[in-house]
Amino acid sequence: MKYSYYPGCAQHGTAVDYRMSVRAVMSRLGIELEEIRNWNCCGALHVDERTTKVALSARTLSAAKGLDVATPCNLCYSNLMRANTALEDVSLKNSVNGALTTKYEGNVKPKHLLEVVVKDMGLVKLAEHVKKPLKIKAVPYYGCLLTRPENKFDSPENPKSLDNLIAALGAEPVKYYYKTKCCGGPILITNEDLALTLARDLLVMAKESGADCMVVTCPMCHLQLDAKQRAVEAKFNVKIDMPIIYFTQLIGLAMGIAPAELGLDKHIVPTDKFIAKAGR
Amino acid sequence: MQRDTIIPESRDTAFRDLIIRSPGGEKLLTCMQCGICAGSCPVSHEMDYTPRQLVRMIQLGLKKEVLNSNTIWICTDCFSCSVRCPRGIYPTELMETLKPIAMKEGIRNRNAKFDNVFADVVKKNGRASEFLLISKYSISEPGMIKQAPFGLALISKGKLPLSIDKMEDARELEAIFRIGEKTGEEAKVKKETVPEKPENVNEEEVTEK
Repeated sequence: MKYSYYPGCAQHGTAVDYRMSVRAVMSRLGIELEEIRNWNCCGALHVDERTTKVALSARTLSAAKGLDVATPCNLCYSNLMRANTALEDVSLKNSVNGALTTKYEGNVKPKHLLEVVVKDMGLVKLAEHVKKPLKIKAVPYYGCLLTRPENKFDSPENPKSLDNLIAALGAEPVKYYYKTKCCGGPILITNEDLALTLARDLLVMAKESGADCMVVTCPMCHLQLDAKQRAVEAKFNVKIDMPIIYFTQLIGLAMGIAPAELGLDKHIVPTDKFIAKAGR
Repeated sequence: MQRDTIIPESRDTAFRDLIIRSPGGEKLLTCMQCGICAGSCPVSHEMDYTPRQLVRMIQLGLKKEVLNSNTIWICTDCFSCSVRCPRGIYPTELMETLKPIAMKEGIRNRNAKFDNVFADVVKKNGRASEFLLISKYSISEPGMIKQAPFGLALISKGKLPLSIDKMEDARELEAIFRIGEKTGEEAKVKKETVPEKPENVNEEEVTEK
Protein backbone atom coordinates (compact mmCIF):
# COMPACT_ATOMS: atom_id res chain seq x y z
CA MET A 1 0.00 0.00 0.00
CA LYS A 2 1.60 3.21 -1.17
CA TYR A 3 0.36 6.79 -0.87
CA SER A 4 1.48 10.28 -1.63
CA TYR A 5 1.85 11.87 1.78
CA TYR A 6 0.75 15.37 2.69
CA PRO A 7 1.79 15.99 6.32
CA GLY A 8 0.46 19.53 6.73
CA CYS A 9 2.16 22.36 8.58
CA ALA A 10 1.42 21.25 12.14
CA GLN A 11 3.54 18.12 11.70
CA HIS A 12 6.58 20.39 11.48
CA GLY A 13 5.62 22.26 14.65
CA THR A 14 3.18 21.62 17.47
CA ALA A 15 2.35 18.10 16.28
CA VAL A 16 5.88 16.71 16.39
CA ASP A 17 4.53 13.84 18.53
CA TYR A 18 1.97 12.98 15.85
CA ARG A 19 4.74 13.06 13.24
CA MET A 20 6.91 10.68 15.28
CA SER A 21 4.09 8.21 15.80
CA VAL A 22 3.06 8.28 12.13
CA ARG A 23 6.63 7.52 11.16
CA ALA A 24 6.98 4.75 13.73
CA VAL A 25 3.68 3.03 13.03
CA MET A 26 2.88 3.31 9.32
CA SER A 27 6.02 1.64 7.96
CA ARG A 28 5.57 -1.26 10.40
CA LEU A 29 1.99 -1.66 9.19
CA GLY A 30 3.27 -1.86 5.62
CA ILE A 31 1.78 1.49 4.65
CA GLU A 32 4.28 3.39 2.53
CA LEU A 33 4.02 7.17 2.63
CA GLU A 34 5.97 9.15 0.05
CA GLU A 35 6.04 12.78 1.11
CA ILE A 36 5.01 15.21 -1.62
CA ARG A 37 8.02 17.30 -2.64
CA ASN A 38 7.77 21.02 -1.97
CA TRP A 39 4.23 20.77 -0.55
CA ASN A 40 2.37 23.92 0.51
CA CYS A 41 -0.06 24.86 3.29
CA CYS A 42 -3.76 24.10 2.56
CA GLY A 43 -4.78 27.50 3.93
CA ALA A 44 -6.34 25.88 7.01
CA LEU A 45 -9.36 27.94 8.08
CA HIS A 46 -7.63 31.28 7.65
CA VAL A 47 -7.09 31.88 3.95
CA ASP A 48 -10.46 33.39 3.20
CA GLU A 49 -10.40 34.03 -0.52
CA ARG A 50 -12.05 31.00 -2.11
CA THR A 51 -10.19 30.70 -5.43
CA THR A 52 -6.83 30.94 -3.67
CA LYS A 53 -7.87 28.43 -1.06
CA VAL A 54 -9.03 25.90 -3.65
CA ALA A 55 -5.84 26.49 -5.67
CA LEU A 56 -3.65 25.76 -2.62
CA SER A 57 -5.23 22.31 -2.30
CA ALA A 58 -5.31 21.76 -6.06
CA ARG A 59 -1.56 22.34 -6.20
CA THR A 60 -1.03 19.65 -3.56
CA LEU A 61 -3.30 17.16 -5.30
CA SER A 62 -1.70 17.81 -8.68
CA ALA A 63 1.60 16.54 -7.26
CA ALA A 64 0.19 13.12 -6.34
CA LYS A 65 1.85 11.12 -9.17
CA GLY A 66 -1.14 8.84 -9.67
CA LEU A 67 -1.38 7.81 -6.02
CA ASP A 68 -4.07 8.63 -3.45
CA VAL A 69 -3.03 11.46 -1.13
CA ALA A 70 -2.96 10.55 2.56
CA THR A 71 -2.95 13.22 5.26
CA PRO A 72 -2.95 12.97 9.07
CA CYS A 73 -4.73 16.30 9.60
CA ASN A 74 -8.49 16.89 9.74
CA LEU A 75 -8.16 20.44 8.40
CA CYS A 76 -5.99 19.42 5.46
CA TYR A 77 -8.30 16.50 4.73
CA SER A 78 -11.43 18.63 4.64
CA ASN A 79 -9.77 21.28 2.49
CA LEU A 80 -8.57 18.69 -0.03
CA MET A 81 -12.03 17.09 -0.15
CA ARG A 82 -13.77 20.43 -0.54
CA ALA A 83 -11.36 21.53 -3.26
CA ASN A 84 -12.28 18.49 -5.36
CA THR A 85 -15.98 19.30 -5.01
CA ALA A 86 -15.44 22.99 -5.77
CA LEU A 87 -13.43 22.11 -8.89
CA GLU A 88 -16.48 20.47 -10.47
CA ASP A 89 -17.22 24.09 -11.40
CA VAL A 90 -15.42 24.37 -14.74
CA SER A 91 -14.84 28.12 -14.67
CA LEU A 92 -13.30 27.85 -11.20
CA LYS A 93 -11.15 24.96 -12.41
CA ASN A 94 -9.93 27.04 -15.34
CA SER A 95 -8.96 30.02 -13.20
CA VAL A 96 -7.28 27.75 -10.62
CA ASN A 97 -5.32 25.95 -13.34
CA GLY A 98 -4.31 29.33 -14.73
CA ALA A 99 -2.12 29.74 -11.67
CA LEU A 100 -0.74 26.19 -11.47
CA THR A 101 2.37 24.87 -13.18
CA THR A 102 1.05 21.30 -13.09
CA LYS A 103 -2.62 21.41 -14.10
CA TYR A 104 -5.10 19.52 -11.96
CA GLU A 105 -8.12 17.63 -13.30
CA GLY A 106 -9.85 17.04 -9.95
CA ASN A 107 -9.39 13.27 -10.03
CA VAL A 108 -7.01 12.54 -7.13
CA LYS A 109 -8.47 10.95 -4.00
CA PRO A 110 -7.57 12.53 -0.66
CA LYS A 111 -7.66 10.17 2.32
CA HIS A 112 -7.27 10.76 6.02
CA LEU A 113 -4.75 8.40 7.62
CA LEU A 114 -7.53 7.00 9.80
CA GLU A 115 -9.38 6.04 6.62
CA VAL A 116 -6.21 4.44 5.23
CA VAL A 117 -5.90 2.25 8.33
CA VAL A 118 -9.57 1.49 8.95
CA LYS A 119 -10.80 1.11 5.39
CA ASP A 120 -7.91 0.47 3.01
CA MET A 121 -5.94 -1.77 5.35
CA GLY A 122 -8.83 -2.95 7.52
CA LEU A 123 -9.15 -3.64 11.22
CA VAL A 124 -8.78 -7.41 10.88
CA LYS A 125 -5.30 -6.86 9.48
CA LEU A 126 -4.55 -4.20 12.06
CA ALA A 127 -5.46 -6.60 14.87
CA GLU A 128 -2.81 -9.01 13.58
CA HIS A 129 -0.19 -6.41 14.49
CA VAL A 130 -1.39 -6.07 18.10
CA LYS A 131 1.16 -7.49 20.51
CA LYS A 132 -0.18 -5.97 23.73
CA PRO A 133 -3.98 -5.56 23.79
CA LEU A 134 -4.66 -2.30 25.61
CA LYS A 135 -6.59 -2.76 28.83
CA ILE A 136 -7.98 0.74 28.93
CA LYS A 137 -11.08 2.79 28.22
CA ALA A 138 -10.79 5.46 25.57
CA VAL A 139 -12.95 8.33 24.30
CA PRO A 140 -13.23 8.26 20.50
CA TYR A 141 -13.12 11.95 19.59
CA TYR A 142 -13.48 12.68 15.87
CA GLY A 143 -13.77 16.45 15.90
CA CYS A 144 -15.44 18.35 13.10
CA LEU A 145 -13.56 18.24 9.86
CA LEU A 146 -12.75 14.54 9.67
CA THR A 147 -16.33 13.80 8.67
CA ARG A 148 -17.79 17.21 7.79
CA PRO A 149 -18.70 18.62 5.40
CA GLU A 150 -17.84 15.51 3.43
CA ASN A 151 -15.87 12.30 3.67
CA LYS A 152 -15.83 8.94 1.97
CA PHE A 153 -15.70 6.56 4.90
CA ASP A 154 -17.88 7.43 7.87
CA SER A 155 -21.07 9.10 9.08
CA PRO A 156 -20.93 12.84 9.81
CA GLU A 157 -23.45 12.47 12.65
CA ASN A 158 -22.42 9.29 14.41
CA PRO A 159 -19.10 8.04 13.09
CA LYS A 160 -17.85 4.63 14.25
CA SER A 161 -14.47 4.11 12.61
CA LEU A 162 -12.41 5.34 15.55
CA ASP A 163 -14.62 3.42 18.00
CA ASN A 164 -13.92 0.28 16.00
CA LEU A 165 -10.21 0.99 15.80
CA ILE A 166 -10.01 1.38 19.59
CA ALA A 167 -11.83 -1.93 20.02
CA ALA A 168 -9.50 -3.66 17.53
CA LEU A 169 -6.57 -2.67 19.75
CA GLY A 170 -8.16 -4.44 22.72
CA ALA A 171 -9.35 -1.24 24.41
CA GLU A 172 -12.90 -0.20 25.20
CA PRO A 173 -14.39 2.78 23.37
CA VAL A 174 -16.66 4.62 25.83
CA LYS A 175 -19.98 6.16 24.91
CA TYR A 176 -19.28 9.81 24.24
CA TYR A 177 -22.01 12.12 23.07
CA TYR A 178 -19.68 14.92 22.04
CA LYS A 179 -17.66 12.79 19.63
CA THR A 180 -18.14 15.24 16.77
CA LYS A 181 -18.64 18.46 18.71
CA CYS A 182 -16.24 21.32 18.05
CA CYS A 183 -13.23 21.62 20.40
CA GLY A 184 -12.84 25.36 19.79
CA GLY A 185 -9.40 25.03 18.22
CA PRO A 186 -10.02 27.36 15.26
CA ILE A 187 -10.84 30.32 17.52
CA LEU A 188 -8.19 29.64 20.15
CA ILE A 189 -6.06 32.62 19.18
CA THR A 190 -8.81 35.13 18.51
CA ASN A 191 -11.48 34.21 21.07
CA GLU A 192 -9.81 32.29 23.85
CA ASP A 193 -12.65 32.54 26.39
CA LEU A 194 -15.11 30.86 24.06
CA ALA A 195 -12.53 28.36 22.81
CA LEU A 196 -11.72 27.24 26.37
CA THR A 197 -15.42 26.91 27.19
CA LEU A 198 -15.90 24.50 24.30
CA ALA A 199 -12.82 22.52 25.34
CA ARG A 200 -14.06 22.41 28.94
CA ASP A 201 -17.34 20.82 27.87
CA LEU A 202 -15.52 18.08 25.97
CA LEU A 203 -12.95 17.41 28.68
CA VAL A 204 -15.45 17.31 31.56
CA MET A 205 -17.66 14.91 29.60
CA ALA A 206 -14.61 12.76 28.87
CA LYS A 207 -13.65 12.73 32.53
CA GLU A 208 -17.18 11.74 33.56
CA SER A 209 -17.16 8.86 31.09
CA GLY A 210 -14.46 7.18 33.16
CA ALA A 211 -12.06 6.99 30.22
CA ASP A 212 -8.30 6.74 30.64
CA CYS A 213 -7.62 8.89 27.58
CA MET A 214 -9.17 10.74 24.69
CA VAL A 215 -8.13 9.60 21.22
CA VAL A 216 -7.84 12.26 18.50
CA THR A 217 -7.08 12.36 14.78
CA CYS A 218 -6.24 16.05 14.37
CA PRO A 219 -3.29 18.22 15.47
CA MET A 220 -5.57 21.19 16.14
CA CYS A 221 -7.81 19.15 18.47
CA HIS A 222 -4.68 17.87 20.21
CA LEU A 223 -3.28 21.36 20.72
CA GLN A 224 -6.57 22.55 22.13
CA LEU A 225 -7.29 19.55 24.39
CA ASP A 226 -3.75 18.69 25.52
CA ALA A 227 -1.69 21.88 25.40
CA LYS A 228 -4.58 24.07 26.57
CA GLN A 229 -5.90 21.65 29.17
CA ARG A 230 -4.08 23.40 32.00
CA ALA A 231 -5.65 26.70 30.92
CA VAL A 232 -9.09 25.06 31.03
CA GLU A 233 -8.39 23.70 34.51
CA ALA A 234 -7.27 27.11 35.76
CA LYS A 235 -10.10 29.08 34.18
CA PHE A 236 -12.92 26.83 35.38
CA ASN A 237 -11.28 25.55 38.54
CA VAL A 238 -11.63 21.90 37.58
CA LYS A 239 -9.19 19.00 37.69
CA ILE A 240 -9.18 17.06 34.43
CA ASP A 241 -5.79 15.40 33.91
CA MET A 242 -6.90 13.60 30.77
CA PRO A 243 -4.18 12.30 28.43
CA ILE A 244 -4.93 13.18 24.80
CA ILE A 245 -3.57 10.47 22.52
CA TYR A 246 -3.21 10.47 18.74
CA PHE A 247 -4.76 7.36 17.20
CA THR A 248 -1.35 6.54 15.73
CA GLN A 249 0.17 6.61 19.23
CA LEU A 250 -2.54 4.25 20.45
CA ILE A 251 -1.80 1.83 17.60
CA GLY A 252 1.91 2.10 18.39
CA LEU A 253 1.40 1.24 22.06
CA ALA A 254 -0.65 -1.81 21.13
CA MET A 255 2.12 -2.88 18.75
CA GLY A 256 4.59 -2.68 21.61
CA ILE A 257 6.52 0.30 20.25
CA ALA A 258 8.44 2.29 22.90
CA PRO A 259 6.47 5.35 24.14
CA ALA A 260 9.39 7.72 23.44
CA GLU A 261 9.48 6.65 19.79
CA LEU A 262 5.80 7.60 19.61
CA GLY A 263 6.45 11.07 21.06
CA LEU A 264 4.37 10.34 24.16
CA ASP A 265 6.86 12.27 26.32
CA LYS A 266 6.16 15.44 24.37
CA HIS A 267 2.64 16.01 25.64
CA ILE A 268 1.76 18.76 28.10
CA VAL A 269 -0.55 16.47 30.10
CA PRO A 270 1.69 13.64 31.37
CA THR A 271 1.05 10.25 29.79
CA ASP A 272 3.15 8.00 32.07
CA LYS A 273 0.31 6.71 34.28
CA PHE A 274 -1.77 6.07 31.20
CA ILE A 275 1.07 4.19 29.52
CA ALA A 276 1.62 2.08 32.64
CA LYS A 277 -2.06 1.16 32.75
CA ALA A 278 -2.25 0.45 29.02
CA GLY A 279 0.74 -1.87 29.18
CA ARG A 280 -0.39 -3.85 32.19
CA MET B 1 -35.34 43.78 23.80
CA GLN B 2 -35.02 46.23 20.96
CA ARG B 3 -36.64 45.35 17.68
CA ASP B 4 -35.51 47.02 14.49
CA THR B 5 -37.96 47.90 11.80
CA ILE B 6 -36.64 47.38 8.31
CA ILE B 7 -37.21 50.33 6.00
CA PRO B 8 -36.60 50.24 2.24
CA GLU B 9 -33.57 52.51 2.59
CA SER B 10 -31.77 49.97 4.74
CA ARG B 11 -32.01 47.33 2.02
CA ASP B 12 -29.21 46.83 -0.45
CA THR B 13 -30.25 44.58 -3.32
CA ALA B 14 -26.81 44.72 -4.95
CA PHE B 15 -25.33 43.18 -1.82
CA ARG B 16 -28.07 40.56 -1.71
CA ASP B 17 -27.47 39.68 -5.36
CA LEU B 18 -23.72 39.48 -4.86
CA ILE B 19 -24.16 36.89 -2.12
CA ILE B 20 -26.82 34.98 -4.04
CA ARG B 21 -24.45 34.79 -7.03
CA SER B 22 -21.60 33.42 -4.92
CA PRO B 23 -21.00 29.61 -4.97
CA GLY B 24 -23.94 27.89 -3.28
CA GLY B 25 -25.57 31.28 -2.78
CA GLU B 26 -28.65 30.60 -4.91
CA LYS B 27 -29.80 28.09 -2.27
CA LEU B 28 -30.08 30.88 0.30
CA LEU B 29 -33.35 31.86 -1.39
CA THR B 30 -34.87 28.52 -0.40
CA CYS B 31 -34.29 28.94 3.36
CA MET B 32 -37.53 28.27 5.25
CA GLN B 33 -36.23 29.55 8.59
CA CYS B 34 -36.41 26.15 10.32
CA GLY B 35 -33.45 27.06 12.55
CA ILE B 36 -31.67 23.70 12.56
CA CYS B 37 -28.47 25.64 11.77
CA ALA B 38 -28.81 27.74 14.92
CA GLY B 39 -29.76 24.68 16.96
CA SER B 40 -26.75 22.71 15.70
CA CYS B 41 -24.27 25.55 16.15
CA PRO B 42 -21.93 25.11 19.15
CA VAL B 43 -21.41 28.87 19.43
CA SER B 44 -24.69 30.48 18.33
CA HIS B 45 -25.28 31.71 21.89
CA GLU B 46 -22.35 34.09 21.42
CA MET B 47 -23.51 35.43 18.07
CA ASP B 48 -25.39 38.68 17.72
CA TYR B 49 -27.41 37.04 14.95
CA THR B 50 -27.80 33.27 14.59
CA PRO B 51 -27.05 31.69 11.20
CA ARG B 52 -30.80 31.45 10.55
CA GLN B 53 -31.23 35.17 11.14
CA LEU B 54 -28.22 35.99 9.00
CA VAL B 55 -29.66 34.10 6.03
CA ARG B 56 -32.93 36.02 6.31
CA MET B 57 -31.03 39.29 6.61
CA ILE B 58 -29.17 38.49 3.39
CA GLN B 59 -32.45 37.76 1.62
CA LEU B 60 -33.54 41.22 2.72
CA GLY B 61 -30.27 42.86 1.71
CA LEU B 62 -29.34 44.17 5.14
CA LYS B 63 -25.73 44.70 4.15
CA LYS B 64 -24.59 46.85 7.05
CA GLU B 65 -26.03 44.59 9.74
CA VAL B 66 -24.73 41.42 8.07
CA LEU B 67 -21.18 42.66 7.52
CA ASN B 68 -20.94 44.15 11.00
CA SER B 69 -22.26 41.08 12.80
CA ASN B 70 -19.87 39.04 14.91
CA THR B 71 -21.55 35.89 13.56
CA ILE B 72 -19.16 35.73 10.61
CA TRP B 73 -16.14 35.65 12.91
CA ILE B 74 -17.42 33.55 15.81
CA CYS B 75 -18.24 30.62 13.51
CA THR B 76 -15.70 27.86 14.19
CA ASP B 77 -16.10 26.23 10.74
CA CYS B 78 -17.42 23.01 12.29
CA PHE B 79 -19.97 22.42 9.48
CA SER B 80 -22.60 20.97 11.86
CA CYS B 81 -25.22 23.29 10.35
CA SER B 82 -24.16 22.45 6.82
CA VAL B 83 -24.64 18.68 7.04
CA ARG B 84 -28.09 19.18 8.58
CA CYS B 85 -29.72 21.94 6.54
CA PRO B 86 -32.78 20.44 4.81
CA ARG B 87 -32.32 22.88 1.92
CA GLY B 88 -28.68 22.00 1.33
CA ILE B 89 -27.44 25.42 2.41
CA TYR B 90 -23.90 25.56 3.81
CA PRO B 91 -23.98 28.39 6.36
CA THR B 92 -20.29 27.70 7.10
CA GLU B 93 -19.41 28.49 3.50
CA LEU B 94 -21.63 31.56 3.67
CA MET B 95 -19.40 32.85 6.48
CA GLU B 96 -16.38 32.17 4.28
CA THR B 97 -18.01 34.16 1.47
CA LEU B 98 -18.75 37.04 3.80
CA LYS B 99 -15.31 37.30 5.43
CA PRO B 100 -13.37 38.77 2.47
CA ILE B 101 -16.30 41.06 1.64
CA ALA B 102 -16.40 42.36 5.20
CA MET B 103 -12.65 42.93 5.16
CA LYS B 104 -12.86 44.84 1.87
CA GLU B 105 -15.60 46.96 3.39
CA GLY B 106 -13.22 47.96 6.13
CA ILE B 107 -14.23 45.62 8.94
CA ARG B 108 -11.24 45.23 11.28
CA ASN B 109 -11.15 42.88 14.24
CA ARG B 110 -8.87 40.27 15.78
CA ASN B 111 -10.03 37.53 13.42
CA ALA B 112 -9.60 39.63 10.30
CA LYS B 113 -6.14 40.59 11.53
CA PHE B 114 -5.18 36.98 12.22
CA ASP B 115 -6.46 35.85 8.82
CA ASN B 116 -4.41 38.58 7.11
CA VAL B 117 -1.28 37.56 9.00
CA PHE B 118 -1.92 33.89 8.16
CA ALA B 119 -2.39 34.57 4.44
CA ASP B 120 0.77 36.71 4.37
CA VAL B 121 2.87 34.04 6.04
CA VAL B 122 1.63 31.35 3.66
CA LYS B 123 2.09 33.55 0.62
CA LYS B 124 5.71 34.25 1.53
CA ASN B 125 6.85 30.92 2.94
CA GLY B 126 4.33 28.46 1.58
CA ARG B 127 3.79 27.03 5.04
CA ALA B 128 2.31 28.22 8.31
CA SER B 129 4.96 28.14 11.03
CA GLU B 130 3.10 28.55 14.29
CA PHE B 131 5.85 30.60 15.94
CA LEU B 132 6.02 33.05 13.05
CA LEU B 133 2.22 33.37 12.95
CA ILE B 134 1.93 34.10 16.64
CA SER B 135 4.87 36.53 16.64
CA LYS B 136 3.47 38.53 13.73
CA TYR B 137 -0.03 38.55 15.15
CA SER B 138 1.23 39.61 18.58
CA ILE B 139 2.78 42.77 17.15
CA SER B 140 -0.68 44.23 16.69
CA GLU B 141 -2.28 42.43 19.65
CA PRO B 142 -0.26 43.30 22.74
CA GLY B 143 -2.63 41.20 24.90
CA MET B 144 -0.95 38.13 23.40
CA ILE B 145 1.93 38.63 25.85
CA LYS B 146 -0.26 36.71 28.32
CA GLN B 147 0.30 33.65 26.11
CA ALA B 148 4.06 33.74 26.70
CA PRO B 149 4.04 30.99 29.37
CA PHE B 150 1.99 28.80 27.03
CA GLY B 151 4.54 29.38 24.28
CA LEU B 152 7.38 28.52 26.63
CA ALA B 153 5.65 25.29 27.68
CA LEU B 154 5.41 24.29 24.03
CA ILE B 155 9.03 25.25 23.37
CA SER B 156 10.21 23.18 26.34
CA LYS B 157 8.51 20.14 24.77
CA GLY B 158 10.09 20.80 21.37
CA LYS B 159 6.68 21.67 19.92
CA LEU B 160 7.33 25.22 18.80
CA PRO B 161 10.41 25.39 16.57
CA LEU B 162 11.74 28.93 16.30
CA SER B 163 13.01 28.34 12.78
CA ILE B 164 10.71 29.19 9.89
CA ASP B 165 9.31 26.25 7.95
CA LYS B 166 9.53 27.07 4.26
CA MET B 167 8.84 25.44 0.93
CA GLU B 168 11.98 24.85 -1.10
CA ASP B 169 10.41 27.02 -3.76
CA ALA B 170 7.34 29.13 -2.98
CA ARG B 171 7.27 31.14 -6.23
CA GLU B 172 4.15 29.41 -7.52
CA LEU B 173 2.19 30.67 -4.52
CA GLU B 174 2.47 34.26 -5.74
CA ALA B 175 0.37 33.34 -8.76
CA ILE B 176 -2.07 31.42 -6.55
CA PHE B 177 -2.63 34.42 -4.30
CA ARG B 178 -2.80 36.75 -7.29
CA ILE B 179 -5.80 34.93 -8.82
CA GLY B 180 -7.56 35.32 -5.49
CA GLU B 181 -6.91 39.03 -5.42
CA LYS B 182 -8.23 39.31 -8.98
CA THR B 183 -11.47 37.45 -8.19
CA GLY B 184 -11.84 39.58 -5.09
CA GLU B 185 -11.65 42.76 -7.16
CA GLU B 186 -14.38 41.57 -9.50
CA ALA B 187 -16.63 40.67 -6.60
CA LYS B 188 -16.24 43.98 -4.82
CA VAL B 189 -19.55 45.20 -3.52
CA LYS B 190 -21.02 47.79 -5.82
CA LYS B 191 -22.25 51.11 -4.55
CA GLU B 192 -25.25 50.76 -2.30
CA THR B 193 -28.50 50.91 -4.19
CA VAL B 194 -32.04 51.18 -3.03
CA PRO B 195 -34.61 49.27 -5.07
CA GLU B 196 -36.72 51.56 -7.21
CA LYS B 197 -39.92 49.79 -6.33
CA PRO B 198 -39.52 48.51 -2.79
CA GLU B 199 -41.22 45.25 -2.06
CA ASN B 200 -43.72 45.14 0.72
CA VAL B 201 -41.40 44.45 3.63
CA ASN B 202 -41.58 47.70 5.53
CA GLU B 203 -43.08 46.29 8.66
CA GLU B 204 -41.25 43.02 8.65
CA GLU B 205 -39.32 42.13 11.73
CA VAL B 206 -36.43 39.76 11.33
CA THR B 207 -33.74 40.94 13.61
CA GLU B 208 -33.55 40.76 17.33
CA LYS B 209 -30.90 42.24 19.52
